[in-house]
Amino acid sequence: MLRYLRLLGQWALGWIGALGRASTVGFQSLAGLPRRGDMTLLLKQVYQIGVLSLIIIVLSAFSIGAVLALQGYTQLARVGAEESVGLGVALVLLRELGPVVTGLLFAGRAGSAVTAEIGLMKATDQLSSMEMMGVDPLHRIVAPRLWAGIICMPLLTAIFNSVAIGGSAIVGVDWLGVDAGGFWGGMQDGVQRWEDIGKGMIKSGVFGVVISWIAVFQGYDSTPTAEGISVATTKTVVYSSVAVLALDFILTLVMYGDFN
Amino acid sequence: MTDNLIEIEGLRFSRGDRIIFDGLDLVVPRGRITALMGPSGTGKTTLLRIIGGQIRPDSGRVIVDGLDVPNLSRGELFELRKNMGMLFQSSALFTDLSVFENVAFPLRVHTNLPDEMIRDLVLMKLNSVGLRGARDLMPSQLSGGMARRVALARTIALDPKFIMYDEPFTGQDPIAMGVLVSLIRGLNESLAMTSLVVSHDIHETASIADQMYIISDGRVIGEGTPDILRDHPSTMVRQFMLGSPDGPVPFHYPADTFLDDVMGDA
Amino acid sequence: MRTIEISVGAFVLAGILCLVFLAFRVSGVGVGDTSGGSYLLNAKFNDVAGLRVRSKVSLAGVTIGRVAKIGVDSETAEAIVTMQVSQEVANLPVDTGARIQTEGFLGGRYISLIPGGEETVLHNGDTITNTQGALGLEGLIDTFISKMGSK
Repeated sequence: MLRYLRLLGQWALGWIGALGRASTVGFQSLAGLPRRGDMTLLLKQVYQIGVLSLIIIVLSAFSIGAVLALQGYTQLARVGAEESVGLGVALVLLRELGPVVTGLLFAGRAGSAVTAEIGLMKATDQLSSMEMMGVDPLHRIVAPRLWAGIICMPLLTAIFNSVAIGGSAIVGVDWLGVDAGGFWGGMQDGVQRWEDIGKGMIKSGVFGVVISWIAVFQGYDSTPTAEGISVATTKTVVYSSVAVLALDFILTLVMYGDFN
Repeated sequence: MTDNLIEIEGLRFSRGDRIIFDGLDLVVPRGRITALMGPSGTGKTTLLRIIGGQIRPDSGRVIVDGLDVPNLSRGELFELRKNMGMLFQSSALFTDLSVFENVAFPLRVHTNLPDEMIRDLVLMKLNSVGLRGARDLMPSQLSGGMARRVALARTIALDPKFIMYDEPFTGQDPIAMGVLVSLIRGLNESLAMTSLVVSHDIHETASIADQMYIISDGRVIGEGTPDILRDHPSTMVRQFMLGSPDGPVPFHYPADTFLDDVMGDA
Repeated sequence: MRTIEISVGAFVLAGILCLVFLAFRVSGVGVGDTSGGSYLLNAKFNDVAGLRVRSKVSLAGVTIGRVAKIGVDSETAEAIVTMQVSQEVANLPVDTGARIQTEGFLGGRYISLIPGGEETVLHNGDTITNTQGALGLEGLIDTFISKMGSK
């Protein structure tokens, strides 16, 4: 019995220690003034993290938008309210699915790639040799990836939402025959700029920070072996996904708490 | 200005429960090639990192070129590292940069030289390791020996006063080994550098080292020129120098007697 | 390098365009984001069943505002609804009526404003007195039965 308590205690302490190290990595990377050449590094990372994620984001968005329209239509048609399908789909996407699904996809594709890359650089002594040459790897390798992640998430979410709504429109209006005026009019009438779009973007911003931070830290902290990198990438995907879902719940409560 | 570039006194360092260094003393004289040898896992790479300021020891003095390394500020450490080079065992080339860019890296970081000058310097350094023609290749396209030579070119890009080599000869074919040996010796003489070589390879290292240290159990157990060490009073030193399979470092991992083990299962 | 610069630029541009699309093509008037600002009006109802914060406030069928707050006046046992109305509809007469209506068959509740004829107008913070509360389903049935009964 005592042994389990001790293990639990050790695990908790290990976790808190990791949080401490993660905070150090985060602050030290983001602190400090930008230098010449930093823009190039950032640009390259935005390409790796954002542009290369576009395919999966766009494909998923279109599918999800289409499916939402299909399912929504079926249910709403029962009570003659098909025209509201535009509004329903838009609200669900903007408030919840857009940020969350984009976050999960982002963690799986970009997050794991970043972790693997940094982990590999650590395992092959590239980070160490950089340090010995007087270059701070936190500034040169970690910071651009962190900033790129923070920038890309909201952009990807906006693209996801737009493509998904477009997909739902194609299915709803062109395919299922919902009246275009009703579809878009109902949507415009019911969707609010700040409440729905704005708060959804805030969610995506928060997710972006959290996912990037986890991805970058897991890579930097990984054991410098092949197994270590594999463990680290898994942790990034799992921790990020759980964090996104948990934060979504909390943020939804906080932002939309008026459920009277 | 002392005669010794590096002086280490009473170095103590542990990682977790393992004591890695327990009162280590050594000096690295200027302008010479000094070798650090010892059984695997004695922390030789860790020692290089302590000298480079990446790791702080628990106690002891580490003086490099008159500077107290463990207590330097970030700015001072940055300056020190300009004059220090380290060649890693895995060559540690930046995989996303070409050979040319790898060698140019320290120049771009530490100097404000115009591109034409950087180009000339990089080509010069690559020429001295014989790889000027490979400048547009990516690290993944290089063989192990070539990668190490490029890493060496990168290490000497800023003409450092002092270079540390971490296992430079490991896993190299005889020709590549010969090339590296001659490069290390040649560079040390022509650029009036000080070199610290960590290695297992007795033969290669003995052929270029001016003096050697044998480290075991966190301390120096033998020092001197290769000839002195071959006739050293300590049996462990002799075992290491001669490469005998059995001696103070035993062949058999601790176990019951053979007879007991075999009969026990019957 | 040039391809990277171009694709990153295109990516960021696409993201911004999507945001613009969302902001203008997908959404409409909300609480506090009408151009030209907004002002507050109050109205007391005897029953606001089904009305929520952020429900629409409309004039002649056009959405001109949102419900900002729903509270209770403990003295008169009435509900007090605070509405945020677009500044563009600034000259509502003091006898303007506010009625809680239902949108379509399944739709939510909203407040419909019916302008009156007085000269003096409502200002920020004024209260509309001419109100008619929500007719629940029971109320409708009662009305129907009584109408039938009186035939």
